[in-house]
Amino acid sequence: MTQQISHLDLLEAESIHIFREAAAQFRKPVLLYSIGKDSTVLLHLARKAFWPARLPFPLLHIDTGWKFRDMIAFRDKTARDFDLDLIVHTNEDGAAKGINPLDYSPSVYTDVMKTVPLKQALDKYAFDAAFGGARRDEEASRAKERVFSFRAEGHRWDPRRQRPEMWRLLNGRLGAGETVRVFPLSNWTERDVWRYILREKLDVVPLYFADERPTIVRGGQLIMQDDARLTLKPGEEVVNRRVRFRTLGCYPLTAAVESDAADMESVVAETLGARTSERQGRLIDHDQVGAMEKKKQEGYF
Amino acid sequence: MSAQPTALQKSQSGASKAPLKVVSDQTAASPSGANIDEIAPELSGLLRVLTCGSVDDGKSTLIGRLLWDATDLYDDQRETLERGKKVDGGNPDFSLLMDGLVAEREQGITIDIAWRYFDTATRRIVVIDSPGHEQYTRNMASGASHADVAILLIDARHGIKTQTRRHAAILDLVGVKRVILVVNKMDLVDWSESTFRKIEADFETFSWRFGFWETTVIPTAAVSGDNVASASAHMPWYTGPTLLEHLESLPSRVTEPTGPFRFPVQTVLRDSRNDFRGLAGTVSGGSVRVGETVVDALSKRKAKILRISTMNGDLETASQGQAVAIQLDTDIDVARGAVLSKGDMPPLAARVLEARMVWLSETAYDPRGSYLLRTATDLTPVSNLKISALLDLETLETHEADACGTNDIAIGTIALGRTAAIDTFTEAPETGSFVLVDAITGGSVAGGVITSAKAEAAEADENTFVLTRAMLERGLNSDLGDSPQSDAEFRRRANEVALILRAAGINVEIENAPDYSI
Ligand SMILES: Nc1nc2c(ncn2[C@@H]2O[C@H](COP(=O)(O)OP(=O)(O)O)[C@@H](O)[C@H]2O)c(=O)[nH]1
Repeated sequence: MTQQISHLDLLEAESIHIFREAAAQFRKPVLLYSIGKDSTVLLHLARKAFWPARLPFPLLHIDTGWKFRDMIAFRDKTARDFDLDLIVHTNEDGAAKGINPLDYSPSVYTDVMKTVPLKQALDKYAFDAAFGGARRDEEASRAKERVFSFRAEGHRWDPRRQRPEMWRLLNGRLGAGETVRVFPLSNWTERDVWRYILREKLDVVPLYFADERPTIVRGGQLIMQDDARLTLKPGEEVVNRRVRFRTLGCYPLTAAVESDAADMESVVAETLGARTSERQGRLIDHDQVGAMEKKKQEGYF
Repeated sequence: MSAQPTALQKSQSGASKAPLKVVSDQTAASPSGANIDEIAPELSGLLRVLTCGSVDDGKSTLIGRLLWDATDLYDDQRETLERGKKVDGGNPDFSLLMDGLVAEREQGITIDIAWRYFDTATRRIVVIDSPGHEQYTRNMASGASHADVAILLIDARHGIKTQTRRHAAILDLVGVKRVILVVNKMDLVDWSESTFRKIEADFETFSWRFGFWETTVIPTAAVSGDNVASASAHMPWYTGPTLLEHLESLPSRVTEPTGPFRFPVQTVLRDSRNDFRGLAGTVSGGSVRVGETVVDALSKRKAKILRISTMNGDLETASQGQAVAIQLDTDIDVARGAVLSKGDMPPLAARVLEARMVWLSETAYDPRGSYLLRTATDLTPVSNLKISALLDLETLETHEADACGTNDIAIGTIALGRTAAIDTFTEAPETGSFVLVDAITGGSVAGGVITSAKAEAAEADENTFVLTRAMLERGLNSDLGDSPQSDAEFRRRANEVALILRAAGINVEIENAPDYSI
């Protein structure tokens, strides 16, 4: 019997292997779940790795309080359907101070409502390993990232601490104060992620599909008015447009695109057919590369 | 893709010169007739290619040219290059496509390996780009350990250099079996056949001694694309494949299972709801079929394969590279670290190993250091590591030595604190390779291959302290039951005690579990 092994089969097997290695080597892992397409694939692979057993680790979602309502609904449904342990963590201090994406610069907002609470949650639950969906093809500076990426105390990424990885061997022995980020999707490309979602018939947040949505034009971008907190500035008006989202995050910071793609096949065709890299305009933008590196050193990823 | 004019954009035209980020994807495809297989084909193969060469030999240009001519390069990447500064002959600077370690260079950090992904019409090509300098032996070795094939790039004007030899030796050490020598910048030697033939002959005189299965020598000019993706009109005397043809013709990663069946157990999966107990792992060699008998290399216990399960359904066979869960017909009490094989060619239950290793750490070998050996899924305390020789990469000769440091290739003996399932690298690469771990910092200090293994313990001298089962069971492990999980925890604690004692200068051995007796 000959079995045709496609490149996706190989990638899938490699990711499952990584999940199992990490779950066996670390005391208390957690899966960082951000609800988007990469997280969807990550979760699916995790379920495959431990099937038919339950996932041996919880999911962690850092909720800024500004995610699309559809995302939160999808998150909760996913946790119920797959019998998952879901931890939702918010930086209550930041929320109480009213840090929001409308009045604060993206860098302040991201730091206070995403980076800080991520560290808070990892420390609070004493997780020693966190699975993330980062891919090496996302960014030039990611091209050299390890599968097991070590963080010093305070979640600092130090290039000097990164361990060479050889063959399929993964060394997860932690030094004092160290934690690790694990990237099972390291060798996947954006195309692979979409193609796999199609192949495995995975549910994704409906926001990826075109629908009539209330939007405004702000800063040259289409922003959806997901709730009343997004108040109109002079000259702005809410118009129902047929739009979808290519990436998902905090709704005031996530631009929509006009589209008719209302099912998975059309979305994949549009996304991949457009033949534009995710890193558009960043191909040789050295500043960006450096900035990314810096963010990583500060503990953000 | 630049922003397509949309209704929105038109209504605002003139309002702002800033690039408008509202993009319509509507031109990309007709939702009805989307041909997914064309847009995102599931490729029939995957090949990992290591590239190495000296600075300025044209490695970035070569790979950039390959991307340009043969792959799914994104439109915006093409535009950037076409707009950019041109090199000789009016060609775009293809090397920009491979540029990406700028930040690293600026920060003065060790140049690292970088991973790139692109698709030709038939397969995914993963380029593992490794730095060529002498001081980066360890980076090259770790990059090469992931590769199915390596491209050694040289400048036709300079021919084979000692560095080429070093690189070939490292490839051989980590088990790369296919090597392509690309002789670049043929335009600068007037496309001379005699120059090429001389280099080809030079390469053959030293490469035969390595364990390569296949070597191919290709004359190229990367800037103009000669013999990269299309045959060169300048070199009619060359009748071999272009680089692309060759890369597309090589066997894909794991198409045919090779070697004896090996299944290193990663973890035990349990589901009480339907009484499931499966051994989770990736087949690391050969293949196995439901109904076949497998044996645990250490306990020698046998069982039949009852089911091979995945979330997508049960399989009849599992082959090299597949991640599955195996259910046995009888519980032979195996846990993480065990290696299942078929009866005929099992791994050795070994106590002493001979090995070749690349020293990765910036901290030199310490004869009194506390080390652990990470093999496929096992972690074993090392009771003694003795370096006996270093390999001179220039002459390929070995010299007696008792010390080693960063980038050295060392030959040594590893005595294990307990028995482990071990293969030699040539028999079964995945269970015959290892990473040596510093028990204190956790760092990966060396990566290596096992050249031979012995079952007998090293000459136990009278100063060796034996941690007996009884000793360990009494207080330290009295809280543990006898499930496989408990066994794993038992072993983990025993390892840690051994390491502490060793750090205090005491030679230690851990008594084998009763089943492990040979
Ligand atoms: N004449 C000629 N120049 C080349 C060729 N390939 C690369 N170069 C030039 O050699 C220089 C070094 O190339 P680059 O790709 O950056 O080398 P790398 O350091 O090995 O990555 C650049 O100026 C290239 O334009 C070739 O086939 N012929």
